[in-house]
Amino acid sequence: MADVSEKEKEQYQGLQKRYETKRPVLKNCLKAFFVGGLFCVIGQAITYFYIYFFNFTEQTAGNPTVATMVFISMLLTGFGVYDRIGQFAGAGSAVPVTGFGNAVISAAIEHRTEGFVLGVGGNMFKLAGSVILFGVFSAFLIALIKTLLINWGII
Amino acid sequence: MNRKWIKWRPAVLLILISFVAAACANESSGKAGWSLIRTTNPEPVAIYDGDAALIRNIKKDLEQFDELYDIAVIKGKEDILVAYKVRHMKRFRMKKIEKNIKKLLNKKYPDEKFTISSDYKIFLEAVELKEKLKNPHYSRDQAEKQLKKIIKLKNEMT
Repeated sequence: MADVSEKEKEQYQGLQKRYETKRPVLKNCLKAFFVGGLFCVIGQAITYFYIYFFNFTEQTAGNPTVATMVFISMLLTGFGVYDRIGQFAGAGSAVPVTGFGNAVISAAIEHRTEGFVLGVGGNMFKLAGSVILFGVFSAFLIALIKTLLINWGII
Repeated sequence: MNRKWIKWRPAVLLILISFVAAACANESSGKAGWSLIRTTNPEPVAIYDGDAALIRNIKKDLEQFDELYDIAVIKGKEDILVAYKVRHMKRFRMKKIEKNIKKLLNKKYPDEKFTISSDYKIFLEAVELKEKLKNPHYSRDQAEKQLKKIIKLKNEMT
């Protein structure tokens, strides 16, 4: 058992590959594309809602729209609907901002049994924390570059 | 399966109701509201009567740009508000179009103070102001104030 030769390993790899179920990559991509697009349509509708009924311009309506989308996905995660959407759509439900809300709330639900402070509070941003960290940091870098370029009069 | 859907129905209802409630609370938009979706082609408006010819000329000048399809011009005491919509596929070059318009207007009317915007909200507000001016009880001071408010909104960044 212990000494399996390289050749045997290779043979096994080939065997495994043959019996493995094929991932329907194209189908998954299409699903993700359309479901992600659907989220964006809803987001656009919310943007227009803010422009239409409140004092937001196209420039400023982006922030409340993102907040609303995250809030809706948080609610849907809590009610257990977002998991189903995620199973069906894969990356289409994870890549838009709604995935952020899902990551926060699903971690909070998972660690609820460990108490509110060490469980929910400590683990809530386990996944979303890196989103915040790298998001803020890269935004800082880009803003720095832009400010410098404007100061030097290049753009 | 069906049971599961019933469980989150209250949430959906709540969201829907809050949307509808917000829609009802601001029922002042009226006919101007359609200008977000449709081409309205509003008449240029001068709050003070003497400027009607100037304003019409400005609109005619802007109609030469075929990237634009809906232009609203409003003139107050000093400021001229120009709001326009850019054709969908030309929106990639929106910044350039804005620059061109600015250049043309400043060259042709060097004495006037222009505020130029391609924002839907500004367009919507402009059309709304135009509708309001049809009402004889709506005073010029009010209109001027509203115009100032729109210009302030346009300059808001966050």
